[in-house]
Amino acid sequence: MPLTRQRRFVTPGPDETVEELALRALPGEPLEAAVDRIKSWNLHIFAMRKPAGLLLGSDVVFVEPPVG
Amino acid sequence: MDDAVIVGAEIVAGHDGSAELLVRLRHPDGSEGPVVLDEETGLKLMEACAAGSLDDLKGQSWRRIVETG
Amino acid sequence: MFDVIVKGGLVVDGTGAPAFTGDVAVKDGRIAAVGKVEGEARQVVDAAGRVVAPGFIDPHTHFDVQLLWDGAARPALEHGVTTIVPGNCSLSLAPLKAADRRRVVGMFQQIEEMPPEAFTTAFEWSWEDFAGYVAAIRKGLSINVAPLVGHSVIRLWVMGNASQERAATPDEIAAMQDLLRECLDAGAVGLSTSFVDVDENGRPVPSRFAQFEELDALCAVLGEYGRMLQCVPEFYATDITIARIDQLAELSLKHNIPTTFSPLFDTAAVPDNAPRAIARVEEHFARGARVWPQMQTRPIDISFSLLRPSLFFARLPRWVRILRQPLDERLAALRDPETADKMVADLGPDGGEQMMGRLVVRGGDAAPSELVGKTLSEIAAARGEVPARALINLSLEHGLDVAFLSASQGHQLTDRIGPMLAHPLVHIGASDGGAHLASFATYGDTGYLFSEFVRKGRYLSLEKAVAKVTSETADIWGLKDRGRLAEGLAADIVVFDADNIDRGAELPSFDMPGDGMRYVRAARGVDTVLVNGEVAYSSGAYTQSRSGVICA
Repeated sequence: MPLTRQRRFVTPGPDETVEELALRALPGEPLEAAVDRIKSWNLHIFAMRKPAGLLLGSDVVFVEPPVG
Repeated sequence: MDDAVIVGAEIVAGHDGSAELLVRLRHPDGSEGPVVLDEETGLKLMEACAAGSLDDLKGQSWRRIVETG
Repeated sequence: MFDVIVKGGLVVDGTGAPAFTGDVAVKDGRIAAVGKVEGEARQVVDAAGRVVAPGFIDPHTHFDVQLLWDGAARPALEHGVTTIVPGNCSLSLAPLKAADRRRVVGMFQQIEEMPPEAFTTAFEWSWEDFAGYVAAIRKGLSINVAPLVGHSVIRLWVMGNASQERAATPDEIAAMQDLLRECLDAGAVGLSTSFVDVDENGRPVPSRFAQFEELDALCAVLGEYGRMLQCVPEFYATDITIARIDQLAELSLKHNIPTTFSPLFDTAAVPDNAPRAIARVEEHFARGARVWPQMQTRPIDISFSLLRPSLFFARLPRWVRILRQPLDERLAALRDPETADKMVADLGPDGGEQMMGRLVVRGGDAAPSELVGKTLSEIAAARGEVPARALINLSLEHGLDVAFLSASQGHQLTDRIGPMLAHPLVHIGASDGGAHLASFATYGDTGYLFSEFVRKGRYLSLEKAVAKVTSETADIWGLKDRGRLAEGLAADIVVFDADNIDRGAELPSFDMPGDGMRYVRAARGVDTVLVNGEVAYSSGAYTQSRSGVICA
């Protein structure tokens, strides 16, 4: 039974930076714009994380805005 | 890129008994989603935006949330 | 000769079957007969006019530390809870090397808000491995314990400081697998992990540094034993919750294990939060996965004092501005008559009656004991002030150390939550018993289930509500010996008054080590609790029974 479409996400690789993740998730986009998109879709990570900017292996990182 | 902006904010009861700030963001494609800020971050955001009320947060860029977090 | 006969009660056997009047006989810690029982017993419990049900099972607690000096996990037992699951949210007290104790204590204090004396004077810390912890609590138990082992402590054991710094290597993951096997062999009923918790410095707990591959490898071990994976996901963020549900479903299907996430909250601010999550769970169950959302029965309260700024005042910019000032300046501003007048005026013509009148003085701080439990409206009337003025003045009179409670500010809509609790795929739990001690009481959720959702809202029948917190919980967790009144099963029994069972008022109690304070709720309407056939609580008092076991 197929699952309904939900918001797509990835999880960070070991020691992956937000820049590397942005390039992986949004290939072809200019780096700065890709990073901005990733951050704006994932404020649950980038608003309150200590230390700031730390990506965790268990993070859910959305690679698109909310669906619908 | 166009910025995602805050289109609404309200207080919600946090899991730990504190008051938290639920901010609703509208993305450039028109989609909307919530983000929940803890009490400290929520208060900092209101101060950084010189927000006298929750309504004053409307129109603020998502970047303010990251800057104040 | 039976040991005990619980006689003449309304038997609700935990299966959801219709109640019937009858007896329950106990012999050697097990249920020997159910129905019309003939014969003698050393002890007869008169249950006329009362419900006789299996003991309740609480699947989400943090009693890990308390169990070392209080084998009843008070007040859980008096609420009819006969089995608890500690070790949730990636944290347990074993396996833990002596050198790492301080680090884990910080994590526990962050979650449990337990005073430091609880870790330094209340027990002798004699173990490192899981078997040692189980042995340490086993001797004093009057409640049953089905312990989880925490992913964060497993990671800390294997990786040390690196557990909060980086991904694990293949060798480290293999070592974690071996350690998990050891814990499961020693009595753990599953593994807990966390995607949200932080330590006392705000740094994410070790489990959050794990790649999905690490969790997958640990779940492969759970699959060898058919055991549970519990996780705590992000709150009020539906898309993230659904992502977590998808991850759990993948692990459940791949390794044929049950999984559960807790808590799932309903909120008017994101009204589709819980319904969307439950819909996703339904999709996964239809594919054969087991992903049980745990939903608590009680509403969420907001509490605050003027010692710290609170978003409770977010609609009052002047209040926020003043309360954000350093303490000396804040006190000066609050004492300034002109400023206080303006603050009171901000509340409008009713002086804050609507916004603040129902606030309750919590106690456990500098508040006068005679005011504890009273509403600000009542206090203001007695003082001849409006509520906003009373809040300021009462706080000033006690160094601002007066906590106020704004009750039922989240997860509070009975007409929405009732049908969700009755949903066959929603697991009633997430009490957090033994955690958040200084913030709110985490006890009595079962009483609230019956008072609010059975008696008042009628969203669940008595039989269904009992089944939800007994047999269904036992089945979800694989606790084969519990959850039903059936011959041969463990004699965990609660006798209660269906018309009165409830949770009491939230009150401060100074019964933690070092006279530490916590908020508790006493039980109402629970007459007798038997654990493995022995009366552990009766007529408002705990007995000397120590019949609790580590159960699998």
